[in-house]
Amino acid sequence: MSVIHALKGKNTWVFSGLIILTFFSLVMSITFGAATITPLDIFQCVINECATPMHDMVIWQIRIPRVLVGLAAGMGLACAGAILQNVTRNPLADPYLFGIISGAGLGATIATLVLSEDQMLALPLAAFLGALFSVIIVFGIATLLRNMNHLLLTGVAVSFMLGSISHFILYLGDPFATNRVIFWLMGSLTRVEMFHFYLISAMVLITLITIFALHRQIDALLLGDESAASLGVNVDKLRIILLALCAAVTATIVAYCGGIGFVGLMIPHIVRQLVGVTTMPLILGSALVGGCFLVWVDVLARSALSNVEIPIGIITSAIGSIFFLAIMYRTRKTG
Amino acid sequence: MSTLLRVESVSWSVEQHAILNNISFDVKRGDIIGIIGPNGAGKTSLLKCLLNQYKNWQGSIKLKHKNLTQYKPHELAQIFALVVQNSPPIFDLTVYDVVRMGLLPYKALFARDTDIDKKEIMLALEKVGLASSQTQFFNTLSGGEQQRVLIAKALVQKAKILVLDEPTNHLDIFYQHQILQLVKALNITVIMTIHDLNLAAQYCNRLLLLNKGRLVSNSSVDEVLTPQVLTEVFGLPCYREDAQHCGVPRVYFYPATDDQANDKANTPFTSSTAVYDNNKGQTA
Repeated sequence: MSVIHALKGKNTWVFSGLIILTFFSLVMSITFGAATITPLDIFQCVINECATPMHDMVIWQIRIPRVLVGLAAGMGLACAGAILQNVTRNPLADPYLFGIISGAGLGATIATLVLSEDQMLALPLAAFLGALFSVIIVFGIATLLRNMNHLLLTGVAVSFMLGSISHFILYLGDPFATNRVIFWLMGSLTRVEMFHFYLISAMVLITLITIFALHRQIDALLLGDESAASLGVNVDKLRIILLALCAAVTATIVAYCGGIGFVGLMIPHIVRQLVGVTTMPLILGSALVGGCFLVWVDVLARSALSNVEIPIGIITSAIGSIFFLAIMYRTRKTG
Repeated sequence: MSTLLRVESVSWSVEQHAILNNISFDVKRGDIIGIIGPNGAGKTSLLKCLLNQYKNWQGSIKLKHKNLTQYKPHELAQIFALVVQNSPPIFDLTVYDVVRMGLLPYKALFARDTDIDKKEIMLALEKVGLASSQTQFFNTLSGGEQQRVLIAKALVQKAKILVLDEPTNHLDIFYQHQILQLVKALNITVIMTIHDLNLAAQYCNRLLLLNKGRLVSNSSVDEVLTPQVLTEVFGLPCYREDAQHCGVPRVYFYPATDDQANDKANTPFTSSTAVYDNNKGQTA
């Protein structure tokens, strides 16, 4: 299989390292948090039975779902970013630029407005529908313009449009609802369950399989649409399939974890330096690095301040913006 | 030599402006055909029709007695290989990555590269003299080397017809000749657009002269490059010399006299002469 192929050759060591790092991150991140848990406790829980009912509860009900959702969400966001960047040949492409986050925000805003307090479980669904709605609008306008190259610009415009609508609603709305939406938009893994992990990881798996199937076609796009077409690639169709896929996986993640920006933008840049720009190694690398990254950011979110959790989106945005300034500084020095 | 490609009265128009007007010609196996003509004559549009990249052209193009439109995209990609210099890739593709793209028309979904594929890629790189550069970044190569990498990609594509769009653009004199010598030495059928008439004379065995979407002449180098016709098409006084040392005609142009310049300027510009290209455009 092509997966094994991508792991061979000069990247063997990089990928072995990343896989070990991922397992290490999964185990170690479970030990961080309000309650003290050692790696030995986890080992005991997984192999045999937990030492105390408290450990059982914390490890199986709280920590493991949270870490796994963090891993899957990081994988999905990083892969979606990598694919968008390759498909649009734009190093600044990010799933959030397609209006997905503002669409989800609008969905959540409307939901808080019309739903009562105990119907709040429907908030993720409303966010997902909002995200889907915005993606359909972006696609529709780009198709109308007959120029798929304008997709990102259309996304930015739609983003602002939907953002202004939700801000208007929030401004007029009740402050409690406003608070809830704003906190949700900051992103958090606090309320996740195993069910969310199954859903997100299923989406990530579908994305990975599709990309592995189409990896040569996606590679061909790197040299331009005309060149890809001359190799027998149906460029427009390929682009729509991949954009729809990225939109679906991002919308699922946003619906349960809220707004987590910059992961899709930042991770592929790091991975390109490590394993190259072609699709197979880039996607595998992005999945592993993105997963680890979000797991550790979540550790930071829940243990940096002793009495309160920091919304995860705040941390990713802070790291992401510094990262970008660093990239610009480096390119300034080298040329 | 057998006919490989038969183009019969091909026309293509955009919003009622004729870009290509009733063009017919044959391509025989082993031909090296140069498509020449002024800017906006329809040279690139003709190439794109041959590659079936436009939808609504009229006429018929038969490839081995079968209509071009009946081929599947991957079958066409096994016959035609396009060498065109696009805007440079944004990401750091290596030379190997670029040549490897030529495998695409032969690969099923999920398929991985076999050891034979890898040998083929290296063989193609050796043929263009770049075997030692396989791990270098494509962007860091000179223009001539980039063209050679793209030709290696076409070799991996195992195409029967090599299609080149302005292969000598932006190259210095040495590289211009190096590329065309390489193309000639490959011994496959070649169709290329080319601006430099003297290079065309030296390396092509047949020339198609286009002007305003029409095929003005289609014949040997000797018959196409006549001063009268060239003056008429390019709007400049032309002088031809049959150079003994290289055995092919050379043509020279001189600045237009004021009268001629005015004539050319007064010719109403019709958008029918503009090359319409809906595939280009920068990524947003």
